[in-house]
Amino acid sequence: MNVRLTKFLLGLGAPLLALALAFGITSLVLIAAGDPVGEVWSTLISWPEQRNQVNIINNAMVLFFSALAVSIGFRMNLFNIGVDGQYRVAVFAAAVVAGEAWLPGYLNTALAIVAAMVAGALWAGFAGLLKATRGVSEVIATIMLNFIATSLVAFLLAKLAVREQGSNIIGTKLIPEGSRIGGFSIGDAPAQVYGFIVFSVLAGLAYWFVLNKTRFGFDLRATGASSTAAVASGVSVKRMTILTMMASGAIAGLVGLPILFGSAYNYGSTFQSGLGFAGIAIALLGRNHPVGIALGALLFAYLDEQSNPLQILVGVSPDIVAITQGVIVLTVVVSYEIVRRYGVKLEQRRVAAELEAMRTTSKQTEEVAR
Amino acid sequence: MTSSPPPADLEKTTTTPSGVPAVRLRGIGKRFPGVIANDDINIDVARGSIHAIVGENGAGKSTLMKILYGVQAPDSGTIEVGGTEVALSSPADAIREGIGMVFQHFMLADNLTVLENVVLGAEKMHGIGGKARTEIRAISDAYGLGVDPDRRVEDLGVGARQRVEILKVLYRGAKVIILDEPTAVLVPQEVDELFGNLRELKREGLSVIFISHKLDEVLSVADEITVVRRGTTVATVDPGSVTSRQLAELMVGAELPTPSTEASTVTDQVLLSVRGMGLADSAGGRPLLSDVSFDIHRGEVLGIAGVEGNGQAELVEAIMGMRPGSTGTITLADVDISGFSTHRRREAGIGYVPEDRHRHGLLLDAPLWENRVLGHQTRKPSAARGLIRRRAAVADTQRIIEAYDVRTPGPDVLARALSGGNQQKLIVGREMSGDPVLLIAAHPTRGVDVGAQGAIWDHIKNARRLGLAVLLISADLDELIGLSDRIEVILRGRLVGSFDPSDVTPDRLGSAMTGAQEATA
Amino acid sequence: MGRTTKFAAAAAASILVLTGCGSNSDDGDSGNGGGGGGDGSGSDVKVGLAYDVGGRGDQSFNDSAAAGLDQAIEEYGVESSESEAEDGEAETAREERLRTFAEAGFDPIVAVGFAYSSAVGVVAAEYPEVHFAIIDDSANELDNVSNLVFAEEQGSFLVGAAAALKSETGTVGFVGGVETPLIQKFEAGYVAGAEAVNPDIEVDVTYLTQVPDFSGFADPARGKTAAQGMFDGGADIVYHAAGGSGGGVFEAAAESDNLAIGVDSDQYNTADPSVQDVIFTSMLKNVDVAVYTFLTEFVENDGEVEPGTTTYDLSVDGVGYSTANEALIGEFETQLDEFKQQIIDGEITVPDAP
Repeated sequence: MNVRLTKFLLGLGAPLLALALAFGITSLVLIAAGDPVGEVWSTLISWPEQRNQVNIINNAMVLFFSALAVSIGFRMNLFNIGVDGQYRVAVFAAAVVAGEAWLPGYLNTALAIVAAMVAGALWAGFAGLLKATRGVSEVIATIMLNFIATSLVAFLLAKLAVREQGSNIIGTKLIPEGSRIGGFSIGDAPAQVYGFIVFSVLAGLAYWFVLNKTRFGFDLRATGASSTAAVASGVSVKRMTILTMMASGAIAGLVGLPILFGSAYNYGSTFQSGLGFAGIAIALLGRNHPVGIALGALLFAYLDEQSNPLQILVGVSPDIVAITQGVIVLTVVVSYEIVRRYGVKLEQRRVAAELEAMRTTSKQTEEVAR
Repeated sequence: MTSSPPPADLEKTTTTPSGVPAVRLRGIGKRFPGVIANDDINIDVARGSIHAIVGENGAGKSTLMKILYGVQAPDSGTIEVGGTEVALSSPADAIREGIGMVFQHFMLADNLTVLENVVLGAEKMHGIGGKARTEIRAISDAYGLGVDPDRRVEDLGVGARQRVEILKVLYRGAKVIILDEPTAVLVPQEVDELFGNLRELKREGLSVIFISHKLDEVLSVADEITVVRRGTTVATVDPGSVTSRQLAELMVGAELPTPSTEASTVTDQVLLSVRGMGLADSAGGRPLLSDVSFDIHRGEVLGIAGVEGNGQAELVEAIMGMRPGSTGTITLADVDISGFSTHRRREAGIGYVPEDRHRHGLLLDAPLWENRVLGHQTRKPSAARGLIRRRAAVADTQRIIEAYDVRTPGPDVLARALSGGNQQKLIVGREMSGDPVLLIAAHPTRGVDVGAQGAIWDHIKNARRLGLAVLLISADLDELIGLSDRIEVILRGRLVGSFDPSDVTPDRLGSAMTGAQEATA
Repeated sequence: MGRTTKFAAAAAASILVLTGCGSNSDDGDSGNGGGGGGDGSGSDVKVGLAYDVGGRGDQSFNDSAAAGLDQAIEEYGVESSESEAEDGEAETAREERLRTFAEAGFDPIVAVGFAYSSAVGVVAAEYPEVHFAIIDDSANELDNVSNLVFAEEQGSFLVGAAAALKSETGTVGFVGGVETPLIQKFEAGYVAGAEAVNPDIEVDVTYLTQVPDFSGFADPARGKTAAQGMFDGGADIVYHAAGGSGGGVFEAAAESDNLAIGVDSDQYNTADPSVQDVIFTSMLKNVDVAVYTFLTEFVENDGEVEPGTTTYDLSVDGVGYSTANEALIGEFETQLDEFKQQIIDGEITVPDAP
C-alpha cells in the first residue's frame, strides 16, 4: 500500500526541507558577512578525520541523552528546560559515588550510574511535583532548579574538591581505574569512542519500547495529545506529570556519564556544561524519535567538530556554526509544521476520496436496484 | 446605518422571491482532490427573509458558507449580491459586499466590554468612543437586541453573547447575515429570543441565512428552506408545506429512524445507585451539585433533562471520578466505587460517551486503533500485562468499524479525518466494549448527522436490551422522551422532578427545567 | 610554586627593552606608512594561539595575550592563526583545537587560560615535537610544555595597599568573577596589601559566580550590582578581578562618585572614557610580556625553549600596578614602590590563598 510510502516520504521530507532551507539561509548570512561561502561549506562538509570521527561520536552520545530526556517531556507537552541542572546534579553525584569507590570495580560503576539516574530523577521530579500539586509551570520550576543546581554543585564541589598542585582546576576524586569504562578505537585515532555508547543504544531502545509498547507510554502520549481526553479515559494526569518528569530526569542523569567514565574520570571546574539546551534543539530536530534524535545529535556534534578547522584554517568565526545550528532548529520547526499540516490534509482527502468511492458504488447498486 | 425599505409582502412566506434577490448563487462547485464538496449549488436568498440551509454533516454546508464568506474561492459558478456579480476572495471582501457571518463558536474577548469587542477591527467606522457607543445603542434598539455597550462580555450569558456577535456584524454594515448553527448553544427560551431578533432583522429588510440541524426550529423560523445533500442543493421548500420528517428524509434521502423505544426491559435489580452526591463550587458560589440521589436498574435508561449549566456535566464527571471534591456514595453493581479513580471505575464497568468528544473522547491526531485503546489501557484485547497489544487493538477496531458502521478506510486513519458522526460511532463502539454494566451517554447525538443519529439511538436501545443501566443526558427533549424509561429534571444542581416519558410533553419538561416561576431568568 | 628560572629574569629584562623598542618602532612604522611585516621578517615560525572564552577583543586577559602575539609578529614576522573557546565546551573540543593546530603544522602553540590544562597535557603527549605554552597553569611537566604563570598576589598586594592608603571610609571592596583558586590569589594579595597599610581596614569580598558557572567573567550587570552593594555599605574603593564584568564595577563607581581598581591590563587606558576618571589604578598582569617572551625565546633559539614553569612576578615586571591615573595615584607612588622593593627583596611574603 502506498499510504505507508507516503508517510515515509513525508517523514523524510521535513528534515530534508529544513536542511536545504538552513543551507540557503546560512549562505546568505555568510555572503552578508563577506565570508568565503564556498570555502566555508567545503570545510564544513569535508569528511572528518578518524580522530574527529571519534569526537563526533562521543559528543553525539552526550547530546543524545540530553535530547532523549527533553523529548520524553515533549511527548507529554512538558517542557523540561532543566536537563542542564539535572545532569549537573547527577554527574556530580555519580562522580562523588564513583570517586569514593565504596564498591569494587564495575559494581562501583553501576552504583554510580544508579546514583546519577536517581539524582536526576529526583531533581526533575521536584519540578513535576510542583506542577502536579501547585500548578507551577514546569518551565519556570526547571529554570529555577537549574540555578539552584549550579550553585549547589559549586558549593559542594568547593567542599569536597581536591586540587592538583599547580593547577587552577578543582575537581572531585578520580574514579579508580577498575571502575572506568573503556572504549574502542577507530583506526589509529588517539582518543577512543566511549564504551558508554552501549548504554546510549539501550536507552534509545528502552525509550522506543516504553513509549510505544507499554501502558505507561500510551498514557504518556495520550496525555500529551489531549490531557482532557486522557483524564476521561482514566489517566491520572498528576501522577503522569510527576512520573514523566522523573523519567526525563533519570535519562538526563546519564548525560554527563560518558565523559565521566570515558575521559574525565572526575567532575571538575572544566566539565562540559550547557548540554541541556542543545538537547532541546536536537529533540525538536529528531521529532522525539530515538533514531531521529541520534541523527540530530550526530549532525550537531559534526557541526561542532567542524567549527575548529573553520576557525583555524578558513579564519571564519565559529559563531557561524552556532548560527547554522540555530537556523536548522528554526527551519526544522517550520518545515515539520508545514509537512504535518500537509500530511493531515492529505489524509483527510484520502479518507474523503475513499468514502466517496464507497458511496458511489452503493449509489450505483441503489440505482441498479431501482 | 441605512437600510432599504422593507418590501410590502415581507411577512408573507413565499417561494418566489420578489424583485432582485439579496444573494443569488448559481452553479457553485468546489472540488478537493478526490472529493466533490459542492456541486451545482443554486440558492436565491430574498431580501427581508430568513433562508434556512439544512443538510447532514458533511453534506457541504460549511464549504458553501466558506465560499459565501470569502474564505474559499469556488471552482465554478457565480455569486450575485444585490443583482451584481461579485468575486469574494476574503472575508473583508464579503463584509464590503454586506455579507456578515456569526460563527458557532463566538469570537469575543471576554475581558473587554461589548463596545470594545464591537469596534475591535472596525475602529475606522465610528471611532472607539461616544460615537461608536451611540451607534451600538441605535442598532441595538432598531433590532431589539437589548445590548448594553458598556458591559463586560464575561458577565454576559450565551444568548447575549450571540446578540453581541450579531451586533458586530450589523455594525460593519451587513445586509446579509449568515448564522452557523446558532441554536446549538442556546436553551429553549434563548432560542425563542433569538428567533424574535431574527424576525426583527428581516422586518428591517435584512436577509438571514440560517444553518441548522434542528428541523423543528428551521420550520418555525424560516421563510424558505434549501436542503443540501451530497454537496448539491436537492430542493428548496416552503416550510408551510413540509413536515420535519419529510425534511429529514430529504436530507438523508432515505427513511428515517425514530427515537421511540420498545417494550420496557426494566428489571428490579439496581445497577447504579447514587446517594447524596454533592459538589461545592470552587469559586465559592452555590453548590454545583447538592444531594443528588437516584438509582438506575438493569435494562433501564434514565434520562436527565435540564437547561445547560445546571449540573449535568458535573454529575457525569462526578460519577466518572473526574471531579475531586465530590461527596456522597456511588454504588455500581453492589460495589461501592466512591473512592475509586476514574481508571478503576472504568474497569468496574462504566462506559462513557462524553459530551465533548473532541476534548474528552478522542485523540484527534492518533489513529483509530489508538483511540480504541484509550480508556482500555489495561484491558484485553487492547492491552495485557502493562503492554499495549497493537495487533489485537487493530483487529478489535476493525470489529467496531464493522459492527458500528464507522465509515473509514481502516483503523490506521487519524481520528481527525473522520466526520463527527463516525467519530461518535467509534466512541460508542469503544465504550460498549469490555462488557460495561453502566453506559453514560452525554449528548450522544449532538453535532451528529441524521444518519449517525439513528444508528446511535439504536445502539443505546441495544445496550438497554443487553441489560445495561444507561444514564442519558441530552438537550434534545425528543431524544430524551423517545429513549428514556424515566426522566429526572435537574435544576441548579438538584433533581427537582421525575417524569414518565410516556405521558410527558416537551413543553411540560421545559417548564420544569426552568423552574416554571423563573422562566425568564 | 614551581621554579622561577634565571632565564625569566633575563628574558623579562630584555623584554622591557624590547617593549620600549616596540613602541618606538611603532611610531616609526606609522611614520613610514609601513605595511605589515616588521624588521625581522622571514621567520617561518607558525604560531597557533588558542584563546579562552571571549577571545581577541575581550579588553582583558585574551587581548593581553593577543598583544604579546602581535608584538612578536611585528618583531619577527611570525605567521599565526587564532582560535577561541566556547563557553562550557567539552574537554575534547579544547583538545581538538590544539590538535588541529598541531596537525596544520603550527609550532609553537600557546594556550591561554587554565581551562586548557588537561588538554595541553593530552595533546602535548601526542605531538612531542611540537612546543606548547600554557598560561596560568603549572600542572604539566612534559618536556615540550612551558607553563607561564603569574604572581597575581604580588600585584594585588600593591593595589590593596594603594586602596588602603586612599580610602577615607576605612572600607574597601573586592569583586571576584568566579571563585577559583586563581582569583582567590588576587583576593589574598589584595587583602594582605590593604592590611599592611591599615591593620583595621575592612575588606568586603564577593564572587559573582561559582565554578563551573564561568559567567561571572562576562556579566557586567552582576558586577555592577555587587559593587553598588559595597559602595552602599560604606566602601569607597572596589577592586575587581572579574574580566568583562569589571565594566559594571566601573559604572557603579562612577555613579556613586567612588573609585575602582582595574585588573590585568591598564584599564585606565582601555575603559570607556565616561568611567576613566574613577579608575584609580589597575593591577597589571602582563600576559603580553609572558607570551612575547616565550615567542622571542622560541624564535631566537630556533625552536628550543626550556620547558617547565616560569613565574612572572614583580621582580621581572610580570605583574605590577598602573600609574596612568597620575592625579590620583601619584601621591602614593613612593610608598607603593617601597612595598614593591620589600616584596622583591623577600622582606614581605605575600600569601597566595585567602
